Parts: sequence; structure tokens; C-alpha cells
Amino acid sequence: MNTPTAIELALRCYPGWWRERYADEVRVVSRDLTAEGRSTVRVTLDLLGGAFLARSRAQGMPTTYRLWSVRTRTSVAAATLPWLLIVPFVLAAVGNVSFRSSEGPIVWSGISVMPSHLQIINHAVASPAPPLAPVGRLVLYSSLALTVLFFLTFIVLISGWSGLTSAIKRSSVAHRRRLRLLAWTPVFTLLVDVVLVITQAKMRPNSFAFHQNHVVASGGSPAVLHILDIVVPTVAIVGWLVSIACVAVAARRADVAPTDLRFGTSVATLVALLFALFVAAYATWGIALIVQTRQAANGNFTTIGYTHSGLWVPVMLVLVIAVALSVMSARAARSSWKVISTTFL
Amino acid sequence: MKSKRLGRTQDPTTLVLTSLSGGPKHGYAVIKDIEAVSGVSFGPGTLYGVLARLEDEGLVEPIPSDDHRRPYRITGSGAAVLRERLEANVKVANIGFKRLGTLGA
Repeated sequence: MNTPTAIELALRCYPGWWRERYADEVRVVSRDLTAEGRSTVRVTLDLLGGAFLARSRAQGMPTTYRLWSVRTRTSVAAATLPWLLIVPFVLAAVGNVSFRSSEGPIVWSGISVMPSHLQIINHAVASPAPPLAPVGRLVLYSSLALTVLFFLTFIVLISGWSGLTSAIKRSSVAHRRRLRLLAWTPVFTLLVDVVLVITQAKMRPNSFAFHQNHVVASGGSPAVLHILDIVVPTVAIVGWLVSIACVAVAARRADVAPTDLRFGTSVATLVALLFALFVAAYATWGIALIVQTRQAANGNFTTIGYTHSGLWVPVMLVLVIAVALSVMSARAARSSWKVISTTFL
Repeated sequence: MKSKRLGRTQDPTTLVLTSLSGGPKHGYAVIKDIEAVSGVSFGPGTLYGVLARLEDEGLVEPIPSDDHRRPYRITGSGAAVLRERLEANVKVANIGFKRLGTLGA
């Protein structure tokens, strides 16, 4: 008698050690239960829940260094991946800042976070703009926090990546050279991006002339430029995703030393912590934008707008799921490291 | 009156240990026994999650079998843990009944 495909797929979600030990038994029990009338969907959902717990808790996992080391490395990768996959796109989705007032277009001068001069330009005459909505400062500070947290996490990740490449260099794992190449993929893709951007700049028109009250550009290659305008962002996004996948594979396969595992665990914990702060700042930013709209409706205030702030709710949902995954994986990495340090070192 | 809102009255570990205290059983037999005893219907994912944990802690052990329906039995320490838990449950239950009695319920 065949096991339903859904149940087989659910069984594949379990870790390898668990499948080796229990999969045959579970297959038989699942068949017995579905044969007596229990729905396949119910059995599958229960198995998926079990697979999630088996992966997150690793209870019953044999006490071998190889298994616990793989678990630590996988957890470190799983703690950092959600940030890498989502946060850069979230920042891009925030868009550009602009100031609005019911009295006219606003010019923002000043280089600090808080605008030092907000002016309305009407018929080429400048006059002071209405004050910022009371919650406006919170909008600007949380937006600044998003940028700062992004760069802080990026620095932590670069140090983690640097630790990984050194750890692979020191390890005695087979195919070490291939793993190092995989780990260096982000640098290769960055170089390709830089070459493409320079080529794009070279293809732009290099001289301009007035002809019948029109600016006419000449030089460069408009056709190539048009193609590059599509190729450059595409290569940047695809390169980013490929780099993440390559580094994740290298991190999972590299049999690094225990001290390097400890460093990886610390990186995962820091990334998860900073990611949680990032989500808190994003939540504050979105809520402050909503409150600001209400305040502006009840008074004459200057309000702050962002190009894509309408995406806040769906982005927030994705972020909450991603940060939960990241925090849980960082906890799994720490608990695995604890088992390694108490059992094998 | 039965209240489903309050959730399970027994935790899965106690239910599995109670089932195996009646003699060795394979997975499907444990599920059916727990259903008959407590009305709780386990899925295979829940059952083997509990069995893996109990086996890891040495509270149950598999009995070698040629069949994929491998039976499990409770160990000495498993029986001791079960006894301790049941005694704690009885103590709580007795106090509960006594207090309900003073309420006149």
C-alpha cells in the first residue's frame, strides 16, 4: 500500500537523523490512521508540526559532534538568511522622503536628521512652512534608526562572512577550495556590479548643446545604455540572491572548528537582535506615519511622506514572520553550541 | 458539562507513559489506547515527537522487531517518573474535589 504523497512530503521535512530512526514506523502508523478514516490533511498537518518541532528542538538527536555541528551551522545560516533576503528590499520599499503642506510645495534645507529650515516656495517667494506634525520627529528618528540598524547589521554580517572564509581556509574539509569559491561569490558579484556600473557611466552622453531652445545630448551609446539600465539592477538583485545561496551552502557544508562555530553563533545572535530592533523601528515608523496623518487633519502641520509607505502593512507581516524565524534559529544555534561545548569540548 | 476551552487535562508525555505502562505497544496501538482512555486523538507527528523525547531521556525503549510496527515499552525510570506525575495529579485532584465539596458544588 502506498503512502499518500502529502505524507511523504511532510516526512521529508524532518531532519535526516530523525527520518533514519522513525520514518518507516511513522509511515506505517500514518497509513493505518488514513485507512481507518482519518483525513490525510490532518495527518499531514500533524506531521508538519512534528517536523518543525524536531528541527527546532532536536530532541532525541544522537549525540555525535558531526550532527550537532551541522545543526549549529544550519541554525546560524537560518538566523541570518531572513535578514539578507528581506531587509535590503524593505529599505528600498520605504522610498524617498518628502515634506508636504496644504499651503504649497516645501523645500527642506539642512543636513541634520531634523530639517533646520522648512520653507514654502510660492511664485518664487520663500516663506516659513507650518511646523512639523508633533509625531513628525518620531517618523524621522525611526527612519534614521532603520538606516543605522541596517548598516550595523551589515557590518556584523561582513565580520561573520570574513570569519567563515577564514574558518574554511583553516578547516580540513574535502572540497575546501570549492567551498572557498562559493563563500567568495558575494565579492565576485560585487565586482561584476562595479564593472557594469562603470560601463553604464561610460555609455551616457558626454556632451550637451542648445539647439532651438532644446538641450541636445551627444556622445555615448543610447542603445547600450538602455540595455544596461535593465541589466544593472537585474544583475544586482540576482547576484545578491545567488551570493546568499552560495554563502549559505558554504556555511552548511564547511566542517569548521568549534571556536569558529562559537563565533558564528555570536554573529547569529547579534543579527537576530538587531533584526528585532529593526522590526520595532519599522513598526514605530509606520504607526507614527498613521498618527501624523490624523494630527495633520486637525491642524495646520507639515507632514512627512515616503514614496512607498502604503506597503507598510504587508511588509510588516513579512517582517514579523522573518524576525520570528531569525530569533528562533539564533536560539537553536546557541542551544546547539551549548551541547557541543558541554559534551565534546 | 465538559469544557474544551480549558484544553487537555493531561500532557502528552503522561498519556504516552500511561499507555505503555499497560504493556508494550507499537505507535498505532498507543494512539488507539490513548483515544480510548482519555478521548485525546494524537497524530503520528505528535506521538513520535513524544516518543523521541522519552527515548532520549531513557523513559521508554524500543523492542527489537522485524516489522516496521516497532513496539515500545516503559523502562524502570519511566515507571518511576509516571508514578511521580500521577501522584502529583492525584494530590491536586484531591485538593480540588475537597474545595469543590466545601463550595457545595
